[in-house]
Amino acid sequence: MKQTTVRHLISLGMLLVLIVMFSILSPYFLSPDNLLEVARDASVVGIIGVGVTYVIITAGIDLSTGSAMALVGMTMANIYAYTVWPIWIMLVFGILVGLLAGLFNGFVVARLHLPEFIATLATMGIYRALTYAIAIRDAGGVIQSQAMTDSGFTALGGAAGPVYLVTIALIAAIVIGQIVLKYTRFGTNLYAVGASQKAAALSGINIAKVRILAYVVTGFCVAVGAIFTTARLQSTTALLGDGFEFDPIAAAVVGGVALSGGSGDIVGTLIGALFMAALDNGVLKLHMNTAYQYIIKGIILILVVMFDAWYKGRMEKAAQEKGVKEAAAENE
Amino acid sequence: MKKKIQWGKFSKPMILVAFVIILTILRPDSFPTLGNISNVLWSVSVYGIMVCGTIFVFLVGGIDLSIGSLCGLSAVVIVKTIHAFGDTEGGVAAGIMAALLVGALAGVIHGFVITKFKVPAFLVTFATSSIFLGLSMVLTNNKIISCLGPDLFTAIGMMKILGFPIPIYVMLIIAIVSWFVLRKTPFGRYMYAIGGNPAAARLSGINDTGLTFLAYIFSGISTALGGIVLASMTQQCMASTGSGYETEVITAAVIGGVSLLGGEGTVPGAIFGAVIIGLLNNGLNLMSVPSTEHGLVKGIVIIAAVAFDALQHQDQAKKGFSFFSFGKSKKTA
Repeated sequence: MKQTTVRHLISLGMLLVLIVMFSILSPYFLSPDNLLEVARDASVVGIIGVGVTYVIITAGIDLSTGSAMALVGMTMANIYAYTVWPIWIMLVFGILVGLLAGLFNGFVVARLHLPEFIATLATMGIYRALTYAIAIRDAGGVIQSQAMTDSGFTALGGAAGPVYLVTIALIAAIVIGQIVLKYTRFGTNLYAVGASQKAAALSGINIAKVRILAYVVTGFCVAVGAIFTTARLQSTTALLGDGFEFDPIAAAVVGGVALSGGSGDIVGTLIGALFMAALDNGVLKLHMNTAYQYIIKGIILILVVMFDAWYKGRMEKAAQEKGVKEAAAENE
Repeated sequence: MKKKIQWGKFSKPMILVAFVIILTILRPDSFPTLGNISNVLWSVSVYGIMVCGTIFVFLVGGIDLSIGSLCGLSAVVIVKTIHAFGDTEGGVAAGIMAALLVGALAGVIHGFVITKFKVPAFLVTFATSSIFLGLSMVLTNNKIISCLGPDLFTAIGMMKILGFPIPIYVMLIIAIVSWFVLRKTPFGRYMYAIGGNPAAARLSGINDTGLTFLAYIFSGISTALGGIVLASMTQQCMASTGSGYETEVITAAVIGGVSLLGGEGTVPGAIFGAVIIGLLNNGLNLMSVPSTEHGLVKGIVIIAAVAFDALQHQDQAKKGFSFFSFGKSKKTA
């Protein structure tokens, strides 16, 4: 079995353990309605996770996703409030802002040669401040949350049959993201840049282009995520996505994407996003004080990654010993 | 042959001087006063104290995202302990011990999980930051707890010696200790070696897991110290005390030339970064920029300052292609 398959199976196993545990603790957890809710909660993280996974595979990081979401949301709110343009034009502008935010991140990282962590930390502040600057205020200058209740728009936050539209978008994003990553030159280049920029440059890959493109893809995913989030909330605020930036990164890392770059894939991130959503939902179902929810979430996350690391180490050791034995057998 | 001046070495002081000049021109009345300068240093002292310990974690190539909530937790612990001892001087001593113990314990947990299980530091400290926040919420019951308590406690944050408040001296002392350890002892050189090339460090007999363990303990203790000073400065604590400090401290370190890949950075550099952040906040306040727009100016200045610094080091950047990228392939973060 290939190592990535093993890795996915481990992650899936952890997800199953979590589901079994919560369904014992709370009878409501395993109901179809609740499971669809978990999938819905995982969806925005998963969609943005596709772009974030690309960036992490190139050994980068993007901390600006939460703020960029707010900027996209507020741009759309302005168009909604002050123009009579059709909804699709509003969506186009939202996506455009997302792409621009990603492009700027890529420019700062790949052209100005800033460390990704600090560059996206800076743009996180910039996008949030821009959101405040264009936020819709009342006569007294107080920032208001802007309702967006056009039925065409809010339908995006709803469901088609039993499944939420955002979950369908997630499935599309995962399939396309995984195909691009595994079967296109761009995908291969992402891995090459993440494994060794020097080697990638020597083999003729335009590193800057690949890195910028990874951030632009993230910007697109952020815009899509923002559209579905605001459609679900039927409004937006300047605080949209505050503190969200670590969620897709955590999902990717739980799913086996290494922050050091060069490994991991979209399927792993999907499992990670489902895992984090199940954890949030399950802890919520225990009906405890918020304080204890934070503590239990942290402890479960640590236990799981510890088990994962321990198990991975064992598998690698076993594989090595098997390799040694096979080599010895060949020598005889 | 004439020795060539290495301008790259002076890029950080140049940025600092440029800052001071710009702010002096913009606000000639309010900026260049002793009171204001002392104020700036006072406001950066918590970041400065924290970064002096966290730099060890950065040097070995790790990261600590929990320092914000740990700072809050230790502030809560000292205040609760002082109240438990009935606001006595002895309570302050016990509170300081308890807070430092909590910081050290947090470091032990981080060090243990990260080195024994080889788990990415990013995830471990992300998870513990949630745990620490939860503990603070339990301890404070989600209320603001004020502590105007014994003079000994308020003196830590407020008392002035020679015109400068005590936190500045605390920052200077811990900076000197941390600088001395890193520069003048083999222990410090090992830290750089581990971050620079962990495999080579291990092969040359350096106990890399033990030292990484210690780095997290240092980070925990300095963060607790920061929390103690912060509690005393604000004379209160709540669950959200210290929230967001992790980004400020990491930003200070990176502006100061600390590489998040490990193996690079100095204590004076990190303190320089903290002072830049303090000057920025101070300048924005003096020019009455609304706080919602601070992010814009700060973001642009950070990008400009770090890009300028990167430009100065471009020769090195060309030598190693991924010099300025986060999470180079040599290790798991």
